[in-house]
Amino acid sequence: MSAIISASNVTKTFRQTKRLPGLGGAMASLFSRQFTEVHAVADISFAIAAGEAVGYLGPNGAGKSTMIKMMTGILVPSGGSLSVLGREPHSHRMTNAAEIGVVFGQRSQLWWDLPVRDSFALHRHIYDIPQARFADNLAFLATMLAMTDYLDRPVRQLSLGQRMRAEIAMALLHDPKILFLDEPTIGLDVVAKDAVRKFLAQINRERGTTIILTTHDLQDIEEICPRLIMVDDGRLLFDGELPRLRAALGSRRRLRLEFGSDPGPISLTTARLVIDEGLAKHFLLDSETTSILDVLTELGSGYDLKDVALEEPAIEEVIRTFYQQKPNLVTAP
Amino acid sequence: MRAPAYANFTVNAFQTRLAYRNAVWAGAFGDLVFMFARIAIWVSVYGAASGATVEGFSLPDMITYALLAGPVLYWDFSRLVNEVGNAVQTGDVAVYLLKPLHYPAYLLASHIGHFLFELLLIVLPIAVIVCLTYGLVPPVSPFHGLAFLAFWLLSFAMLFTLATLAGLLAFWLMTVFALEWFLMSIMTLLSGGLVPLWLFPDWLAAIAGHLPFAWVSYYPAAVYLGKLDPGQTLLYFAIGCVWLLALLTALGWLWAQARHRLIVQGG
Repeated sequence: MSAIISASNVTKTFRQTKRLPGLGGAMASLFSRQFTEVHAVADISFAIAAGEAVGYLGPNGAGKSTMIKMMTGILVPSGGSLSVLGREPHSHRMTNAAEIGVVFGQRSQLWWDLPVRDSFALHRHIYDIPQARFADNLAFLATMLAMTDYLDRPVRQLSLGQRMRAEIAMALLHDPKILFLDEPTIGLDVVAKDAVRKFLAQINRERGTTIILTTHDLQDIEEICPRLIMVDDGRLLFDGELPRLRAALGSRRRLRLEFGSDPGPISLTTARLVIDEGLAKHFLLDSETTSILDVLTELGSGYDLKDVALEEPAIEEVIRTFYQQKPNLVTAP
Repeated sequence: MRAPAYANFTVNAFQTRLAYRNAVWAGAFGDLVFMFARIAIWVSVYGAASGATVEGFSLPDMITYALLAGPVLYWDFSRLVNEVGNAVQTGDVAVYLLKPLHYPAYLLASHIGHFLFELLLIVLPIAVIVCLTYGLVPPVSPFHGLAFLAFWLLSFAMLFTLATLAGLLAFWLMTVFALEWFLMSIMTLLSGGLVPLWLFPDWLAAIAGHLPFAWVSYYPAAVYLGKLDPGQTLLYFAIGCVWLLALLTALGWLWAQARHRLIVQGG
């Protein structure tokens, strides 16, 4: 499949006026201006194929929103080249806008004073959606996102969860080829988050809508996006599948062995003991190739082994390890 | 987005205003009080000699002028200045750039909606009340009546352009309040909305009469009352059109600058 989004060596540098401290500094900055350069996005390259769901992950200020804004055509890259659906997004803003959907978690696109239904109707005119297609999509989205109860309520009266579902629905009414979401689950409660995630995963699977999503919430990635792009300080740290990230970090699966009677100290070559609670012992499997069978074989049958549990590392732990180790990591191809 | 679809924003703005019924009553009442305050000024200027004329205009002429130059032509542009100013200052204008639409055209369409709303629900009732209490004069001739309609259209376009320009300046000056205040003071003096230019000192009238602000209130109302003969009417209409064209060019340029700055520097 050919790429529908491709970024090569994209950079974005902002110039910020330097503010000098104190009253004297404030006076001085009235007359002379010094600038500091901020590299929000530095030399980032990736390609995304149609139908993919990609999580764009990074801490605050890592340049996630800047990248989304460049892909949606409302920011111009300072360097490198960017192509979305075969076009340069900012120079084809209108055409690009008609074929993508965008949701900003912190900025509403609904008309505040209007009932949700009226916002959708305006959207139909803006995007020139044929009536029948619009009716189908509206019916589908309203059912899927459980919005039928509040379609006739003004947006200002909605809860954050309801509003966010309406924002997502609106972004999908014109059948966009790509859906960009900038922190779509921010501020939502557990139930609302879950509903949004399930829906996005389904849209991606069943309609083949390409999804690019930025988030702080790792669970968003785990449930929606098989692929992960990690950035920090504007730089690309990792691009690939989540299991590969785990592998790249040297797995670290956790093995819990529970015994009927205290076996005393155990030391193994295949697994490293990390916590010894007497009856229960926790081991870390440092190598990806070590199987649970290897450990049990080495352990032998001389112990009163009651239960064995193998835990995959939680994504949070993977990411934490990743950021801690990042200086000595080579970006995955 | 096709051009006719913008009409939906007009309808939409109208509907939105209907949702705030109390604001309508408060606004209409405030405007009515202000209208009567202006009338009271002219009543006291003309004093006991109610049959007198000043510069060829009688008291009923001045009351008609106050209504036309005030509520009818001088609509509440602070809504527009604030809308544009806040959108560019907070970066919410990005939301409009994400959609396949032209932001200034969107503004025009929606503010026609606000204008029609205010015309029907605030200005028209005030006009009826003034007509019933003090009486209004008709246009001096059918020609002047028709010319007034053309000037009215020009006036709307002029005020829209001026207010949008002021709002866009917030991008660089980072203050909406000061800009609104500035435009309001300038307009109060130079548009002729409060005092007709023929009562200004000659030198000030000469300056104000050639600045675009005068086309918002003064010229349309003066044409209605027959202050300008047909030849002058056409001449000043043409000058007004040139001003409008110049301001629209400035607006287009400023909007391009704002967009450029927005997409290059991220607001």
